[in-house]
Amino acid sequence: MSKFKYLKNLLIRGKSHLTLGFLLVTLLLFPLLVKSQFITRVVINILIYIVLASSMNIINGFGGMFSIGHAGFYCVGAYTAAILSTRFGWSFWILLPLSGVMAGIVSFLLLGFPALRLRGLYFAMVTLGFSEVIRLIVLNWITLTRGPMGIPGIPFPTFFGNSIIYNWQFYYIILGIVVLMLFIIRRVLNSRIGRAWISIREDETAASAMGVEVFRYRLMNLFFATFWAGVAGCFYAFYARYISADSFTLDEGFSILAMVIVGGQGSFIGPILGSILLLTLTEIFRGIAQYRLIVFGLAILIVMHLRPGGIASIKLSNIQEIKQKLSVRQDK
Amino acid sequence: MFYLQQIINGISQGSIYALTAVGYAIILGIVNIPSFVHGDVMMVGAFAGYYSVLLFPHNILLVFIIVFAASWFLGIIVDMVCYKRFRNSPRQVMLICTVGFSIFLKSSAQVTFGTQQKLIPNILGTNFFALGEIRITYVQIFIVSVVIFTVFLLQILLFRTKIGLSVRAVSMHKRASALVGINVNQAMKFGTCLGCALGGIAGILLGIYYNAVHPLMGGNAAMKAFISVIFGGINIPGAALGGLLLGIFENMGVAFFGSGYRDIIGYVILIVVLLIKPSGLLGRKENEIKI
Repeated sequence: MSKFKYLKNLLIRGKSHLTLGFLLVTLLLFPLLVKSQFITRVVINILIYIVLASSMNIINGFGGMFSIGHAGFYCVGAYTAAILSTRFGWSFWILLPLSGVMAGIVSFLLLGFPALRLRGLYFAMVTLGFSEVIRLIVLNWITLTRGPMGIPGIPFPTFFGNSIIYNWQFYYIILGIVVLMLFIIRRVLNSRIGRAWISIREDETAASAMGVEVFRYRLMNLFFATFWAGVAGCFYAFYARYISADSFTLDEGFSILAMVIVGGQGSFIGPILGSILLLTLTEIFRGIAQYRLIVFGLAILIVMHLRPGGIASIKLSNIQEIKQKLSVRQDK
Repeated sequence: MFYLQQIINGISQGSIYALTAVGYAIILGIVNIPSFVHGDVMMVGAFAGYYSVLLFPHNILLVFIIVFAASWFLGIIVDMVCYKRFRNSPRQVMLICTVGFSIFLKSSAQVTFGTQQKLIPNILGTNFFALGEIRITYVQIFIVSVVIFTVFLLQILLFRTKIGLSVRAVSMHKRASALVGINVNQAMKFGTCLGCALGGIAGILLGIYYNAVHPLMGGNAAMKAFISVIFGGINIPGAALGGLLLGIFENMGVAFFGSGYRDIIGYVILIVVLLIKPSGLLGRKENEIKI
């Protein structure tokens, strides 16, 4: 019997590995199969948002905090990369981790104290405020960021002496970033740190009674998540070659949040599904440009009405229901 | 003199913020999440006002009644789409529904009304009182008096009628008010509609103040209302005080630092208040929102 179970497990695991491998091969061969520039650009866009949504999911889904202002840290990453590359000619490959670290440090300084003091929606409002403050500072600090004119002419990144110009080359870079990020997130979530985050999310008091240093792990969580937002910002700056503060408004933060929640907060695969669904839907309606955002809004509403827990997380909503039945505390 | 003028401008702008903030505070008290659709409710109210001004240019009262009715009706839809089904779901579901509905309304308005701004015909003229160097325009006086009158009516509605009592009870404690026989669903719907209707009136006032309406006018104003509510506290006097103070601070700030920093002032106030006294100036500890 146990032998049979073992075989069955092996088969299931083998099957999931096979699917994963198949998916990876398809993604690797994608530029060879699809020659359309438009589709390649759409896929690159989706991959950028997968980085953003997955990293936001680390805060909202696993850290038990509620952040709305992810666009602010995306902005910090993008501007770090743009300024250092246009003024000092730093290389893309150094700036990629550096702008991540920069975004992390900014989140550390700005959100560290609020993370200590505030919970729930109040924390969310502070992140929202900081996101807008960052954008407005970028808009007004003209000597550093050129303000409303934006920063044009970001140089092409080079790879062993060859300039990276074509969309398919950018595609491979962002694919690499996504795969690396998903791998690292997976490993971190299965480590002591990830378990500490989840225990804080489930019950802060119990977690601190078990010896989890809540504040320290919160800060780690924020740093880790905003690091990836900064990386995405750096990639975006080099890919678009022009950035301005208009790309990082609150609406941008709301779109990322929508992808996280529509996909399913607190599940690993959720934000990926959410960003694929929402962006594909809006790109299908690209032809009738004005209706694109209407479709975006409608898609959010429809998914939320059909499945309030998000596409991927049936389990999470069950847990929430049980929690609500058990605790009287939550009721106001 | 210059600063006195700034304070007067601040009061007239702050009174619009205050009216929006009062509506926002009612909704925030009832559903316990910040509603991001409020700015678009204001926008719809302003457009309803714009078209009814074109239809009835000499009857301002009728214009306000039409705006009130239109945004009340929109409130019913907002309640149906964003709040009603999700009262027992996690809070972020409601929040993202308001975001989705806001995107939907904003872009539908851009499609139907066009992206250009529309000029509201000047009903009150450009006359002003001059006291020395200080100018007080008729529009400013009109706006302040409309706001005072509306808040006065609201006070009667909330404190002298049965449905007002139930709205206040529901915003304090849902389960307890259900226990004493209040129809919670109905009271929540009524509160949402009332908040939206006040938002619509604030929207047309904003349109009159700036002489123009356009589909994206609401977002910034709703953020200001939200900041005022947090600043003053989640209750009606608090929201009104927060709105007025925010208007004055902003105009003083523009006088000191220049107009690029107008929006930063509001957000800095938001962050500082949340870090020092999250319940707001007039808020009580037990009125804080829990997630």
